[in-house]
Amino acid sequence: MRAIPLLSLLLAGWFVVPAHADEAQDWLTRLGQAEQQQSFFGTFVYERNGSFSTHNIWHRVQDGKVRERLLQLDGSAQEVVRIDGHTQCVSGTLIAGLGDSPNSAARALDPQKLKNWYDLAVIGKSRVAGRAAVIVSLTPRDQHRYGFELHLDKETGLPLKSLLLNDKGQLLERFQFTRLDTADVPSDKDLQAGDDCKAVTLDSDKASAIKAAQVWHSDWLPPGFELTSSSARKDPETKTLVNSLMYDDGLARFSVFLEPLNGATVTDTRTQLGPTVAVSRRLTTPQGEVMVTVVGEIPIGTAERIALSMRTDATATK
Amino acid sequence: MSREALQESLSAVMDNEADELELRRVLNAFDDVETRETWARYQIARAVMHKDLLLPRLDIAAAVSAALADEAVPAKATRGPWRSLGRLAVAASVTLAVLAGVRLYNQDEIAGVELAQQSNQPGLTVPQVKGPAVLAGYNESSDATGPMASGVLQGQPGWHDQRLPSYLRQHAQQAALKGTESALPYARAASLENR
Repeated sequence: MRAIPLLSLLLAGWFVVPAHADEAQDWLTRLGQAEQQQSFFGTFVYERNGSFSTHNIWHRVQDGKVRERLLQLDGSAQEVVRIDGHTQCVSGTLIAGLGDSPNSAARALDPQKLKNWYDLAVIGKSRVAGRAAVIVSLTPRDQHRYGFELHLDKETGLPLKSLLLNDKGQLLERFQFTRLDTADVPSDKDLQAGDDCKAVTLDSDKASAIKAAQVWHSDWLPPGFELTSSSARKDPETKTLVNSLMYDDGLARFSVFLEPLNGATVTDTRTQLGPTVAVSRRLTTPQGEVMVTVVGEIPIGTAERIALSMRTDATATK
Repeated sequence: MSREALQESLSAVMDNEADELELRRVLNAFDDVETRETWARYQIARAVMHKDLLLPRLDIAAAVSAALADEAVPAKATRGPWRSLGRLAVAASVTLAVLAGVRLYNQDEIAGVELAQQSNQPGLTVPQVKGPAVLAGYNESSDATGPMASGVLQGQPGWHDQRLPSYLRQHAQQAALKGTESALPYARAASLENR
C-alpha cells in the first residue's frame, strides 16, 4: 500500500520533467517564429553597467518581408533600419564600416541545439508591459556561458523581457518592454529612416577578407560554439589589418580580434562592461607579435582561455 | 630520519625556501657535528656560486650553544588570572585589527575598481554631462561594485583605449546583424555609445 503513493510520485516526476522541458522548447520555437510573423510597435528599456536607455521599435511583417526600425529615445538619436535582417542604414556613432559580412544572414533560434548547452524550463508566469507573460529560463550546463531569463508574451511569443544572469545569479543586463502594441501594423512613415541614418555600404574586398581571417583558428572553444563569420578590415585610423572571427552557440556570442602590434609595447588587459567582457593577450607568431582580443557576452575565464588558444596557420600559406 | 631528507631540508633552509617543518627538522639535527659540517659545505658552495665573501669554518652556532648551556634558566613566570586576561585582550585586539584590516583592504580594492572604471570610461564612451535627471536614490558610485558595473581595467591604457571601443562596437554590431533576438544586441551596441 505504501508503495502506491511513492510509485505515483515517481511516475508523476517522470512525466512532469520532460513536459516542462518540452513546454520551454515550444515557447522558444514560438519566440523564433514570432519575429518572422508578428508586426508590432513598442518601447523598451535597456540597462547595464549603470547605463540606462530607452528605445522605440517598429517591426512590420508584410508579404514575407520583415522591416524593422529601431530608434533610441534618449541621448543621441541612434537609429537602425533593417530589411530581412540586413542592415540598410545606421546613424551617428553606430557606424562602423563593417557592413554585411558575406555569411551574416540571421540564424533562427534553434531550441533543439540550445538544449545541449542550456537547461530549458518554464519557471513561472509574470506580467510585463501590461501583458501576461511566461518565464522561460535557460540555465547553462557548464561555466562557459551565462544564463537567460526570458519573459515571453503569452499571446504572441515575443520577448517582453530578457535578463542575463551570471553563475551567481547576479543581473548583468536587462532588456524590457514598457509598452507593446501588436494590434496595429506600423505604417510606411513609421518605418521611414530619419535623415541622420546613413546607408550601409558593403565591403568590396570580401574574398580577400575571408582568406585572411581563415589563417586563424582556435585550439580550444567552449562546447557548442561555432564559427559563424570571419572578416578582415583595415582600421581607418591605424591602417593595420584587423582579422575578426565571430562564434556563437545559438544564443551567446563572442568575437576574436587579431591585430599585429608592429612593435608596439602593450600590456595584456581584462575589461568587463556589464554583460560584455574584453580580454587582450599578446601572442608571438612567426610574423611578429599579435594582440588577440576576445570580446563577448561570456564569463571572463572562458574569454581568457579562448584568447590563449588562438593559433595561426600563416606559416603554411606563406 | 633519512640523511637525504635532512640534506634537502638544509638546502631549503639555505635558499630561504624551507617551511616550518623543515626548519624544525634542521634545528633539531643541528647538534649533530656531521650536519653542521654539511651546512658549512653548503655555505661554501653557495658562496662560490654567488661569488660571496667566504669565511670558512666559522661555527658560531657551536659557540652560542655552549654559552647558552652555561647560562642559568630564568625563573618561570607565575600564571595569574590577570595574565590570562591580558592574553585574551591581546587576542581580541589582534582579531579586531585583522577584521579592520580586511575591511580596509576590501575598501581599497573597491576604490581601485572605481578608479579603474573612471579611467576606463572616457575612452570607451562619449563623455556627457551627468545631469540631475537620474532616478531618485539611484547612485552610480554605489553601484560600481555590483556586477552590472564591473568595469575593471588592468594594465596600461593607450593602445587599448584606442582599440577596445572599436572592438566592442564591432562585436555588438556584428551580433546585431545576425541577432536572433534582434533588438537586444542592437541595444547593447547603442548603450556603448551612451553617456
